[in-house]
Amino acid sequence: MRTQLKGPSGMNYHVTYDQTQCSGCLRCQLACSRTYVKCFQPSAARIQIDSRGGEYLAVFTEACVKCGFCADNCLFGALKKFPEEVAA
Amino acid sequence: MSMGGFAGKILNVDLSKKQVWTTPLTETMARQYLGGLGICIKLASEQIPVNVPPLSAESVFVLGIGPLVGTDLPSSSRVYAVAKLPASGTVGWCGAGGFTFGAQLKYAGYDHVIVSGKSEKPVYLHIEDDRVEIRDAGDLWGLGVDDTCDSICRDLDKQAGVLAIGPAGERKSAFAMAFVDRISTLGRGGFGAVMGSKNLKAIQVRGTGAATPADRKRFHKISRSIFNAFKEYPYLKEWRDMGMLKAFPIVPVDVYQRMKIRRAACVSCPVGCKDVIRIPDGPFAGLVKHTSSAINLFTPMIYGMKDPGEAVKLITDLDNFGLDMFEFFGLMGLARDLSASGVISLEHDEPKIDFQSLESMRAWAEKITFRQGTGALLADGFSAALERIGPDAKAVAPPLIKGMQPYAGPGAALPWDRFGTMELGQVLDPRGPHVGSGGSPTYFAVRPLETFPRHLKRMGVPDEAVSRILGPGLNQLNVGRLLRYSHSWFATLGSLGICARGQVNRFYNAELCAEAYEAATGIPTRTNDLGRRTERIWRTLRELNLREGLDESKEAIPRQWFKEAGFKEYLTGEPMTLEQAEEMKKEYFREWGWDQ
Repeated sequence: MRTQLKGPSGMNYHVTYDQTQCSGCLRCQLACSRTYVKCFQPSAARIQIDSRGGEYLAVFTEACVKCGFCADNCLFGALKKFPEEVAA
Repeated sequence: MSMGGFAGKILNVDLSKKQVWTTPLTETMARQYLGGLGICIKLASEQIPVNVPPLSAESVFVLGIGPLVGTDLPSSSRVYAVAKLPASGTVGWCGAGGFTFGAQLKYAGYDHVIVSGKSEKPVYLHIEDDRVEIRDAGDLWGLGVDDTCDSICRDLDKQAGVLAIGPAGERKSAFAMAFVDRISTLGRGGFGAVMGSKNLKAIQVRGTGAATPADRKRFHKISRSIFNAFKEYPYLKEWRDMGMLKAFPIVPVDVYQRMKIRRAACVSCPVGCKDVIRIPDGPFAGLVKHTSSAINLFTPMIYGMKDPGEAVKLITDLDNFGLDMFEFFGLMGLARDLSASGVISLEHDEPKIDFQSLESMRAWAEKITFRQGTGALLADGFSAALERIGPDAKAVAPPLIKGMQPYAGPGAALPWDRFGTMELGQVLDPRGPHVGSGGSPTYFAVRPLETFPRHLKRMGVPDEAVSRILGPGLNQLNVGRLLRYSHSWFATLGSLGICARGQVNRFYNAELCAEAYEAATGIPTRTNDLGRRTERIWRTLRELNLREGLDESKEAIPRQWFKEAGFKEYLTGEPMTLEQAEEMKKEYFREWGWDQ
């Protein structure tokens, strides 16, 4: 079984997204890109938010390491993190 | 030295020649004018031709964002435009938060856009990183703002920011606005008409680049501390739940809660005071509206409309036409009074002007937008209407400032009668009356004077000026002197890109702004540096306007303000006099150190 990559915190999280609470502020993308590409670049973030239309969408890319930083930076309650087991 | 925060480029667009090119944003410009609003003003002073008619092909407008836009500094998404405005004939600023437009412009690689010339045919500007195209807008011309945004983004696979005008701007109504991401407005005074006069329907921008602070660690520490302050703010939930209704409870909360679908936020903002609402029932059930504040949607109820759903429908139509709603209602009042007194006659098939009737108001919005019948008389705003009708109209007209109706004052839309900085600012801001917060403690509330010293310090008022504003015993209030610093504080926030709304700027102070600016850009900046630079910014704006003919008539304080039921002194609530207001004006200029 493939080893799950760990985020900088050493933990992995299952992150849920509630589009009804999302404001489209993109703080999740700003936190992610700041952490992993060292600048504010939403297009390079490992969570992509689409706030067009009435129902928003969040997609975690394959590069996502489930660090949960996106949820840490969401003050709207749209993203929440739950610790998960790391597979050996 | 390359600056952090900034993209480092200015996009130039000549619609007559169909040319686009970039020029560098220099460090000298940034050091002197900070960014955002400040650099917009400087560029406008260089680019707007002398005595240019606002809606001519030769006119120029400047759009821009500050160095903090696109970063995670909380609530730093502001977009500014500076243009010579048709309603006032002055060079004024317009500002908006929007949704992602400002950040997208930064990520696309531009700090400012300068637009000159006039296209032969309707066009829109498409900016996608370094690909900039002037595209045909034939299919968009005539569409409302919402339909324009939907149509223009239909074929894009990702989100883009859009600045768009509606039919009112296309037809150059002097109170046409442009909309940022369909949710915020640029700007009172007819900025929409400026775009329309160039046959420019919209600007669409999408960027995949980055905003990079010069000192990442220091910037992160500052940004984090502000974020945590927001997080711990005990009233954050209330702001979220109620949006701007918390500040202006124009309808019962349960009415608003039934309509609210979701909160919307500018990029980086933890508050999210914008709304997406849906009319729940009635003939317009299902209509969805984005708005920069729900209070806008219920404004028709101030004028007598009873049903909230009808109010929302009317504002939706006004916004899609691209009309400034306050000027619309003001002109409706004027036309009603003039027709009632026989000065003008409505055409035989024109509906009665009835503020309580959605049908009436929608019909008139359409007539004004498309310049039909008496609508044509009103489409160019108060000044033009009064000029055409003659002296009998002036006797009935409300007090005007720079050709526009004030927000606050006797007979104005907003029920507020204390004379503070915003009220005096209606006269002394070159753009004319607006309801933007300058971060002053007198903004729409009577606050205890003992809170003022702390507030003034936060605004960056130098220690030695505090007693000039509040008196030696800190028990007086000199509104004129305070307005000088309110303008400076507003210029700080606007130049950096930070929202000036009260629920945001309360977390900022001048020292923090200087630190954030320095960490973002790498340009050494102390608190008093901000003061010097904002003085330069505001002086440049004033000198530009003096060049363009700003005179005493455009800065006259309306006499009607101090007649019966007029303005009251902020501190005492006692009726004010014109002489007191005139003295405040003089104090304002003295505090800047300017010859009036």
